Amino acid sequence: MRVKVLFFGRLKDIVGQAEDSVELPDGSPIEALFVQYGTSHPELARFRASLVASRNQVFAAWTTPLHNGDEVAFLPPVSGG
Amino acid sequence: MTKTLQADLLLLVRDPIDHAVLIEHVRAAEDGAVVTFDGCVRNHSHGRRTLYLDYEAYETMALGQIREIVTQIHEKYPIHLVAIAHRLGRLEIGETSVFIAVSSPHRPAAFEACQFAIDTLKRTVPIWKKEYFEDGAVWADGELPPAPAETRAAKPAS
Repeated sequence: MRVKVLFFGRLKDIVGQAEDSVELPDGSPIEALFVQYGTSHPELARFRASLVASRNQVFAAWTTPLHNGDEVAFLPPVSGG
Repeated sequence: MTKTLQADLLLLVRDPIDHAVLIEHVRAAEDGAVVTFDGCVRNHSHGRRTLYLDYEAYETMALGQIREIVTQIHEKYPIHLVAIAHRLGRLEIGETSVFIAVSSPHRPAAFEACQFAIDTLKRTVPIWKKEYFEDGAVWADGELPPAPAETRAAKPAS
């Protein structure tokens, strides 16, 4: 399956791109996707405790399984307003 | 009573926010109060002089989260209409980054709903600001939105 991945704020700076598309085994949890990026960008892994994830524009637990066509985002602490 | 059926207004904008438009949007004959919150760009942060801010958003999700806030305040408070606009992109000192207007027949509900709306927006809406100083730029310290419990993991895709 293929999922779309979005990075915002400082995560975008670390990964060097705002958007990516990744091939993963169907049902992989969001955590597995993050681990994959953490391996290629060790600085990203440091932020794991201060991030939340979303699946299809809704906050999602790290254990949430992913399916083809899903849109996942990794969200640093928000600072709007 | 002609405005009773008018809808709430939720906006993410790149141009300056027109306060008057939002206030007029929520003002209706049956309301005795319009309470507004004007969030503006401050010229200092943690003791440093701020030059300007740059806001970015996960726009589709941010609008969804703002809609969720509006739903919540309608459930919690006897208010009439809500207008919320958040600006994105580069903002200069003194400009409005977020503006909230709430109307209600009686003022306590509008005050409380307006405060709830801005407090919740700052915790749950995926918008980020980068602060530019004379000697560099940093992403502002933010608040971590509450994450769903891990126990709901096995839920199938919807």
